Amino acid sequence: METLKFIHKISKGTRFNQIYIPIEMKTIFEVGDSVEVRLIKKKTAQYISKNLEIGEFKKKLSAEIVNFISQLTGVEQAFLVGSFLTSVDYKDVDVLIISEKIIEEKVYSLLTEKFGMKFHIITMPKNRFDFLIKACPLTRSMLYFFISNKKFELPKEIVIDKKHIEFLLMMPKDLLEIKLSSKVFYDNFRRLIAIEKFLENKEINPLEINKEMREELKEKLFSYLKNDEELDKKSIEKIREIIKSKIKKIEENLWERNKV
Amino acid sequence: MGKKQSIGELTSLLAKSLRHKIGSIVNKNEIYSQKYAKDAEVLLKEAQKVSLKENWNSYDKSEIKQELEKKLTKELEEKTFLDESKFNHINSEITLVLKLLELD
Repeated sequence: METLKFIHKISKGTRFNQIYIPIEMKTIFEVGDSVEVRLIKKKTAQYISKNLEIGEFKKKLSAEIVNFISQLTGVEQAFLVGSFLTSVDYKDVDVLIISEKIIEEKVYSLLTEKFGMKFHIITMPKNRFDFLIKACPLTRSMLYFFISNKKFELPKEIVIDKKHIEFLLMMPKDLLEIKLSSKVFYDNFRRLIAIEKFLENKEINPLEINKEMREELKEKLFSYLKNDEELDKKSIEKIREIIKSKIKKIEENLWERNKV
Repeated sequence: MGKKQSIGELTSLLAKSLRHKIGSIVNKNEIYSQKYAKDAEVLLKEAQKVSLKENWNSYDKSEIKQELEKKLTKELEEKTFLDESKFNHINSEITLVLKLLELD
């Protein structure tokens, strides 16, 4: 028999999903005929945050990853975030999943097996996610750039939760007493800038944070921290001074808000 | 560094690490705890380094436990923004961490 074919998209029906026979082919594909249905292209819904500039290769790969995750049981929404999207110098692919179930380990092994890359997975239930996108500077910074399988926008309205900010300040405060690796200083310096911007209700663009940090520390010290290089006493003292003044500024801001 | 000093450094790091960990447990509705339990891990790794520098006898281990209990209680008391249930986790977390570092 001559091969007769058409290509159509699956549409959503009331009870079942369906494929319609094109009207011009209704005399060829008739009720009672047997047909074969074959998947030729998977749907790739992809939502990209504004201002994210990403190359075609990463864009295609990201779409494949988020769509793969979104089809797993229990996944409400999947996001790719972090340095994979913004830098060539990334160690792993950060994935944020909204789910009511604890599925990190399962998703991790499926992703590693399918894509052969290193992943870092965070999952959280919807109610916590909804809280954090309003109240957590770090979550807002993380979601400034993203690729997701569903539409998403950071809410304009923020919630200042004093306890939450104080929780985030614990580590920067510890660094005033303990000497840890440069990478820890780097991460916490960035955390403080994110909190400052959050309290001023400004956008928390991770690339801007780096720019600001570079300006404050100057190029040499900034790259020592970023590259996790050993710091001398004088440099540590300098960084601690800045950290201290940032913490003071943040605490004063919180205190002022409490007075109102 | 003398043993006494090492015990001081080790217990300070562990107390801070456990304060972060307990903070993540009791504030789990506020923070994406997985990611910021990372702070606890960073401090724990540092404590591990100090711990490996010495050979601890049973007297040292008991001193470490006592000092850690005191320091952790103080750390948690100072952090008034952490939920009061934080104190319920002291014993279990100390037992866990000392076991991990083979200091039990």
